[in-house]
Amino acid sequence: MKNRFLLLLAVLLAGCQYELSPWQTDAHCPGVSVEENLAKLAAFEQSIGKVDYYQVAIIGDPQQYPGSFESTIKHVNNLDDVHFILLVGDLAETGVKAEFEWMCKAMSKSNKPIISVIGNHDSLSFGKDIWLDVFGPYDFAFTYQNSRFVAYNDNKYEFDDVPDRDWLAAQAAPIVDQPWDHVIGVSHIPPWEADIGFDAHLKENDFELTVHGHESSFDHWQWQDDLLPHYITTQNRDPGFGMLSVYPGLPLELSDCTRECVPSVPRTVVKSAAALPSQGP
Amino acid sequence: MTIQRMAVLLLLTFGQIQGANAVFMDLQSGSLMGMVHASVGGTFADNHHLSAGVGYVPKLDRHEEMSMGSLRYRYQNPYRWNFSVKDRSYGISPLNFGVALLVGSHKDLFVKLPDQYPDGYYNPTAIRLIFNYQSILHLNEQTQVYFDVSVLDVGLVSYVREPEFFMDNYDYLGLEGITNWGFGLRHQF
Repeated sequence: MKNRFLLLLAVLLAGCQYELSPWQTDAHCPGVSVEENLAKLAAFEQSIGKVDYYQVAIIGDPQQYPGSFESTIKHVNNLDDVHFILLVGDLAETGVKAEFEWMCKAMSKSNKPIISVIGNHDSLSFGKDIWLDVFGPYDFAFTYQNSRFVAYNDNKYEFDDVPDRDWLAAQAAPIVDQPWDHVIGVSHIPPWEADIGFDAHLKENDFELTVHGHESSFDHWQWQDDLLPHYITTQNRDPGFGMLSVYPGLPLELSDCTRECVPSVPRTVVKSAAALPSQGP
Repeated sequence: MTIQRMAVLLLLTFGQIQGANAVFMDLQSGSLMGMVHASVGGTFADNHHLSAGVGYVPKLDRHEEMSMGSLRYRYQNPYRWNFSVKDRSYGISPLNFGVALLVGSHKDLFVKLPDQYPDGYYNPTAIRLIFNYQSILHLNEQTQVYFDVSVLDVGLVSYVREPEFFMDNYDYLGLEGITNWGFGLRHQF
């Protein structure tokens, strides 16, 4: 009896962590930072050279279901045309360390780079600090196959003065007058109607599409006044993700994917009068 | 500060329960309850224990400085295995389970939704439920030391919802991914 008890105690000690509270910030998440994944993507691009076609998987809102997230990642692993994954936020539900670590465990199963942007739920508790340590900056941009991807933080309730319109314009601007094939915005929350003029600002700065999560089901829409499409992927469930197909020089294509992918076209939405920019006196 | 005031009030209240079968004081470290967590409680209806306490974590590189309050319930199974070492008697109670309501106090956590949010936008981030198992070593009739294994609310929910994920990715039936340990000392008056 004594030996069994000591054995049980040893097993319990070996299998547990000494945690001071649910709100520790030292999440163990090797290999998921934006910097590391962009380096992987750059190395991959260099190895394949210029291509005529590639796809990007868009996964969002996997919180509370790490098993489903892992299953989706394994599904995407088998899609050879997918060159990388955009993970559009809400990895955690309450922003505690354990939630991030489960998602990181799932992400470690990916054979493709995963580029992550912060969601509103990720920002709860001490999630902002964990995010900076584990994933890196809230705002960043990168270029792949001459397309510009601009990832930005637009979690307005949790952060002040976001999104940063000037930074967005600067990141979308062509380098030495050589235009991008496409400029694509990436954030967790689709543009808010109350954020007057934001959509027009993106359009004026040559954004061709924005992709998001947050709304928990597939959606694809554009406001009538600027016709800038916004694609929203579903909350990740075994599997559920969006697919962006990129042909340099041709319009972007989007699909809603579960086991199969279905093409998606934007519906046109009329803005309420209060949300339209003022036309001046 | 409200949490600290509530906890002090509860501690004083429990301290006055002289009529309970046994009043105890408990000091714990780890297992999600703080670097140190002091509780006072009483034993009711034989095997059922209630306590209230306050915990503290200093500023560390892995933790903000924080205080916390708790209300805890523990069921202590009467089975006890007695043994002697060098003429001293000891006992082990191997089957004890409990649950704690833990409330963190820090400006980045909230019990009441801050004003900028619409009603019901988030659940409180400062309130957590912690489920625990304890293995108790009785040093004598008054004093116990214990080993505590705990699971956070979201861990239990995730494990029940997707056990395969945890079993595939963590050792010990996946429990490695959700459990935490701590230890403590309890003295009955």
